[in-house]
Amino acid sequence: MNINIEALLPYFPYIIEGALWTFALVGGGLGLGFIIGLPIAIGQVYGGRIIKTILDVYVWFFRGVPLLVLLFLFYWGVFPAMGFKLSALVTSMIVLGLRSGAYQSQIFRGAIQSVEEGQMLAARSIGMTKTQAIIHIVLPQALRIAIPGWTNEYAILLKDSAICFALGVMEILTRTRYVAISTGIYFIPYLFAGILFIILTYGGTKIFNIIYEKVQIPGLVKGGM
Amino acid sequence: MSGDVVLRAEDIHKSYGKLQVLKGVTFEIRKGETKVIAGPSGAGKSTLLRCLNLLTMPDKGRVWLEDIELTDPKVDINKMRQKIGFVFQEFNLFHHLTALENVMIGLTKVKKMPKEEALRSAKEALLTVHITEDLWHKYPAQLSGGQKQRVAIARALAMDPVIILYDEPTSALDPQLVGEVLQVMKELARKGVTGLVVTHEIGFALEVADEIMFMYDGKILEKGPPKEVVFNPKHEVTKKFFEKIGRLYGERR
Amino acid sequence: MSFWEEFLPALFSGVITTLKLLAIAMPVSVALGILLGTARVYGGRVARVLATAIVVIFRGFPLMVTLLILFFGLADFGIYLTPYWAAVIGFILCSGSYQSEYVRGAIRSIDIGQSLAARALGMTKMQEVLYIILPQAIRRALPGISNELIYMIKYSSLAFVVGVPEMFSVAKTFNSQWFMPIEIFMTLAVIYLAMTTAATVGFKWLESKLRIPGIEITTR
Repeated sequence: MNINIEALLPYFPYIIEGALWTFALVGGGLGLGFIIGLPIAIGQVYGGRIIKTILDVYVWFFRGVPLLVLLFLFYWGVFPAMGFKLSALVTSMIVLGLRSGAYQSQIFRGAIQSVEEGQMLAARSIGMTKTQAIIHIVLPQALRIAIPGWTNEYAILLKDSAICFALGVMEILTRTRYVAISTGIYFIPYLFAGILFIILTYGGTKIFNIIYEKVQIPGLVKGGM
Repeated sequence: MSGDVVLRAEDIHKSYGKLQVLKGVTFEIRKGETKVIAGPSGAGKSTLLRCLNLLTMPDKGRVWLEDIELTDPKVDINKMRQKIGFVFQEFNLFHHLTALENVMIGLTKVKKMPKEEALRSAKEALLTVHITEDLWHKYPAQLSGGQKQRVAIARALAMDPVIILYDEPTSALDPQLVGEVLQVMKELARKGVTGLVVTHEIGFALEVADEIMFMYDGKILEKGPPKEVVFNPKHEVTKKFFEKIGRLYGERR
Repeated sequence: MSFWEEFLPALFSGVITTLKLLAIAMPVSVALGILLGTARVYGGRVARVLATAIVVIFRGFPLMVTLLILFFGLADFGIYLTPYWAAVIGFILCSGSYQSEYVRGAIRSIDIGQSLAARALGMTKMQEVLYIILPQAIRRALPGISNELIYMIKYSSLAFVVGVPEMFSVAKTFNSQWFMPIEIFMTLAVIYLAMTTAATVGFKWLESKLRIPGIEITTR
């Protein structure tokens, strides 16, 4: 193998630039996923039978179908059929968000369920409505408990964002692929991409861990798993 | 001496960081004897017991099992442990095996007995501790505390050890279950099974023990026949301890 | 419709290819996961470092990257894996690494009394690990392991990128010819849903079969 590392050097910044798209995907996915996931969790814990069934189906669908299939289904099929002309990037963000919402709902559901029943009872006994109790008593605790699981979701989304290269989104892997094809050198660019992902995963996880430490309630026994 | 002595400990020391738990313990126990170690918490009783089969390594001192020095690094400790039975406070039965399998596994895997022989020995041991056939295929989680501990004793007994070490065998049991375990231990003692028991159950000691060793602050403060040490101790500390225990547990059980 | 007459048989052969991938990758990944997890807890210095390196790398790389390195990257060194083997090895390395974390956690969650009792009987370390620790640890790791295996069913779709003619690549090819994305990809979705749902039920059944009577094992 004749490697010309010099020829590769100018391409590395190009690959790193892809991180912006990657974070757009991850941010969109996490954000939309949060907006969808939390209400689903609340619905699954406190909702009636019909609501629970509908939500269960949503979660089952978006967790059971591979991301790749969802991407193609929505990009080529669903959105055009609905009359939308969305870019690959936006479509990917939405699909990642819908899917992450399903996974996040399970994280939040577990966290909510691990807040002791006594908390809810005490809240009701001072006259709070169920809604008030959920908002002021259960969620503040549940959200803290959920942070480790949510951090894990970040790591998973970061890696799944690479799959969006199948739609041509200009994130890290797509760019890496172009570099490899242009230069004819495959191993090093892909290795570089892999290491880049590891660094971004590690860095992001570290930040979330620091946040987790900062918001800890002194003396609170970490509920759940 | 060596023909009769089963276990001998000499000048055992053990520290955890700055805390010195054992400050030089020496004693011996002969075949057929039952000895009890009693004393306040933190005196180092459990640590001492674990040093005897090297589950905990002593910092200083030596241990002999019959003629063989266990603390000699050249000795195959796994082989030696087959001859020492150990009964834990928390039972430590293997969760994933039935009662019968718990007793058999040492025989088949460690002693490499053929299955039929192991089965026979295991059943015998279980019957000795009054665990009847209806319990043999139950898992530990399905047994009561007293049943678990008796199975644990059977597990140790089945290995045909020269001595059984009991580390506070009844401390983790509900009060109404203590009796059935003590009963088994008394029967074994009367049969001549050599035993060293760390316990608070003074009634047990008074009934079957040949000697009580009172441990205080990492050393054996005094020892002798149970009736003497309990009712007529030489040291003030010993006196105070047995007074308290007497009030807590009642005189005779 | 002539479309379905062509699509369904082709899709079926894609399903078979997918199953062929999973048939090897699933069991071997479990074996690797147990091996790596055990090595990281009980191994000597070299074993531990090696196992940890493998786990860090293949959990850290997106599966896509691993597949591309195996198929295209190794070619730079003259190692030419077939699409099938690049995919299978990629799945094994990736999933095995994730599974090893569950195994490692399970081993460490077993109370030390089990180990003490094993040693008190005279068992060697290897006997202790083999007969006492692992049988319990693997049971505890089972929910996590089954979770990863169900992921594998879904991520098998990524094998298209190295040219394996599995389900997704068949669908993709059909879509570029016939352009009926909703029919094609919904059908595909339904098949994946059927497979993952069946696997979920199957693993729950397996867990209940292996459960130690009397113990309440809380599944996530």
